[in-house]
Amino acid sequence: MIQHLVSAIGGIAMLGVISVCLFFVVFGVAVLWAFCLKKPFLTSMSSLPLEDETGADTKGANHHG
Amino acid sequence: MNEATQTRDVPPANIETFKYDNRIVRAFAIATVIWGIVGMSAGLLCAVQLFFPGANLDLQFVTFGRLRPVHTNAVIFAFVGNGMFMGIYYSLQRLCKARMFSDKLSWLNFWGWNAIIVAAAITLPLGLTTSKEYAELEWPIKIAIAVIWVAFTINLLGTVVKRREKHIYVAIWFYIATALTVAILHIVNGLEVPVTMWKGYSIYAGVQDALVQWWYGHNAVAFFLTTPYLGMMYYFLPKAANRPVFSYRLSIIHFWALIFIYIWAGPHHLLYTALPDWAQSLGMVFSIMLVAPSWGGMLNGLLTLRGAWDKVRQDPMLKFMVVAVTAYGMATIEGPTLAIKSINSLSHYTDWTIAHVHTGALGWNGFLSFSVLYYLFPRLYNTKLWSTKLANYHFWIALLGMMFYIVPMYWAGITEGLMWKQFTKDGFLQYPNFLETVVQIIPMYELRAVGGTLYIIGVWIMAFNLWKTARSGVFEPDTVAHAAPLSAQAHTAEGKNPWGHRVLEGKPMLLAALALVAVLIGGLIEIIPMFVIKANVPTISSVKPYSPLELLGRDIYIREGCLGCHSQMIRPFRSETERYGEYSKAGEFVYDHPFLWGSKRIGPDLHRVGGKYPDAWHYNHLDDPRSTSPGSIMPRYSWLLSQTLDTTSLPARISALRRVGVPYPAGYEQIALGELKLQAAKVCTNLQTGLIKANSDKEIIAVIAYLQRLGTDIKAAPVAPIAPVAPEAPTPVQKTAQLNTPNQP
Repeated sequence: MIQHLVSAIGGIAMLGVISVCLFFVVFGVAVLWAFCLKKPFLTSMSSLPLEDETGADTKGANHHG
Repeated sequence: MNEATQTRDVPPANIETFKYDNRIVRAFAIATVIWGIVGMSAGLLCAVQLFFPGANLDLQFVTFGRLRPVHTNAVIFAFVGNGMFMGIYYSLQRLCKARMFSDKLSWLNFWGWNAIIVAAAITLPLGLTTSKEYAELEWPIKIAIAVIWVAFTINLLGTVVKRREKHIYVAIWFYIATALTVAILHIVNGLEVPVTMWKGYSIYAGVQDALVQWWYGHNAVAFFLTTPYLGMMYYFLPKAANRPVFSYRLSIIHFWALIFIYIWAGPHHLLYTALPDWAQSLGMVFSIMLVAPSWGGMLNGLLTLRGAWDKVRQDPMLKFMVVAVTAYGMATIEGPTLAIKSINSLSHYTDWTIAHVHTGALGWNGFLSFSVLYYLFPRLYNTKLWSTKLANYHFWIALLGMMFYIVPMYWAGITEGLMWKQFTKDGFLQYPNFLETVVQIIPMYELRAVGGTLYIIGVWIMAFNLWKTARSGVFEPDTVAHAAPLSAQAHTAEGKNPWGHRVLEGKPMLLAALALVAVLIGGLIEIIPMFVIKANVPTISSVKPYSPLELLGRDIYIREGCLGCHSQMIRPFRSETERYGEYSKAGEFVYDHPFLWGSKRIGPDLHRVGGKYPDAWHYNHLDDPRSTSPGSIMPRYSWLLSQTLDTTSLPARISALRRVGVPYPAGYEQIALGELKLQAAKVCTNLQTGLIKANSDKEIIAVIAYLQRLGTDIKAAPVAPIAPVAPEAPTPVQKTAQLNTPNQP
């Protein structure tokens, strides 16, 4: 079945063309998606590592020696 | 918990109090330092053996061939592996505002993983190896790895599911992609048919085995050495710089593009080999495209430091981070460059690859690990770093060490590549003796060892500094934190858009599933055609299975790690066919479980060595390489002359190979030992003509038989298909064996 499918796509050379097209579709969707995101959301996401210890009770190790 | 934490304000009613587990982070951090020293020291001993072969003290357990996988496994899976877990266990809890899903799973992960490393450190020097690079551990250990990895994955996903932070930060996406992809790579590449407790045969053969192996090998670099460390970069770099990542948009594109493309690029390890051309081209194209997301990530990291470069001058942790990210950028522009076929024709099998790999390993993984260690220890012990000055010394020594390592290796690689291809004006090879090209680069090997020594000295300095830091503070086993549970958090307007990327960030399982699909597509498109289209591996009728003696010789070749220095793949270049003979064909490897093409030529290619030298030459060469090849850097293998060949598992080996498709006739096990003795006696007779008296039951006889068989099948006349065994008549396997045991003086 798989052999038939793979053989029927017009030669193995087509595989490379399909693969590159596939990549550009995925890449394009990711870019489009990323640029549709709103600024406040991006700001809140990017600040997550900086906020993660605001609720933590640490004795002052935030100063790097 | 210390008193200070107990006297904090009481949180509001809907706020939960919980603790981050620091014990597990500390355990992984200590293991990172210890295994770093062990793994790098093993590497240094390997490096020294390349200009001083006697450094193995003639012990078989520490010869270059057996020690190299100890070094690579220790650095990749022990040093970087523990470093990865250290970073993940620290950052994941804080980004999820939750303790790890299960403390039991955390400790199973720690002890299980480190027990596996100890098992590797014992079995690899004993020669118990599959020979597949970065996947050398034999099947019982492979199963243990799968179990421990599943425990880690459950713990990771469980923590994400029970998190108190609504959004899943990009670092966690990288962690999830790592967990899922490594599991798939490990299982698919590791499929073996067990023969004995410590021996198995890959279910794949030859060119298919090569493709699966390098699909694994390349993506082990991608998803073990890169994606978890990118996650750590996205967490620890903003923390250290105290500013958010330069572009969160870019990080989203970086993630999806990287995981989608990386998996396709594996075939660039097999350019100009017997792999079908379409697969090679696919690997090359996707490797070049890989520059885009990789550099996007690197620039995102470096630009995070915009306006904070003054901190880099003062903070050694940031210094290490900057070099790590820069090394990532250098390695990821060089990798695609080396994947261009014309450049690869020069660089492949040379030390250029070693330089490239170490730019990534020493620069990216090493420096990022050091950076995170310098960040974590003061925090885990509630104190300051004991000595910033010492950390700065470490930085400069390590940087110098890295330069002393990679620059000579680039020099050596380009020198080798050019010398191998150099012709005289009359059209002959300028350096027909491979040894000339080796002797030329020995000074570079010496310099490399200096670089390695400096780098290790730096790690010792760091270990001392971290130890003093720990001594100067008080370890905080748990960090108390407060946060509202996810269910109590109000949904914001932005969360209502069903199509935004935030939908994925709120649904970890959907995110994981999509990441898995992105990763699987490339692998499936490359691998499935290789198995279902017969034209990809043209058969050669004269190619027959190994005789019993050759088979055992091949397994000794694997045990000794000969493929660490000798390839078995002649590329279709005039410079190679002139030097070695006819180029290698895919159909010649159909019974090779596993394939032994190798990836580095410290010594010459051996694919057509069969029949090139008399048996006595091989005997003397293996006993003392310098007796036949003055100046050789190959270690002595004198134990092969005295160790008795173990034939007890021969029937099991034949049976296992038959199960994976090698056409040994039914019942062949019963006569195999007789055939083996017959062929061994012939090798001994040949040796006598060289005035060597050898016992036919010694390991060296099997190795000679195997070496003499290499690459000779296509010279033999085509033979009829294998018929059922008739004990009175020699089988085609016997005939082939007889054909390939030369009568040489």
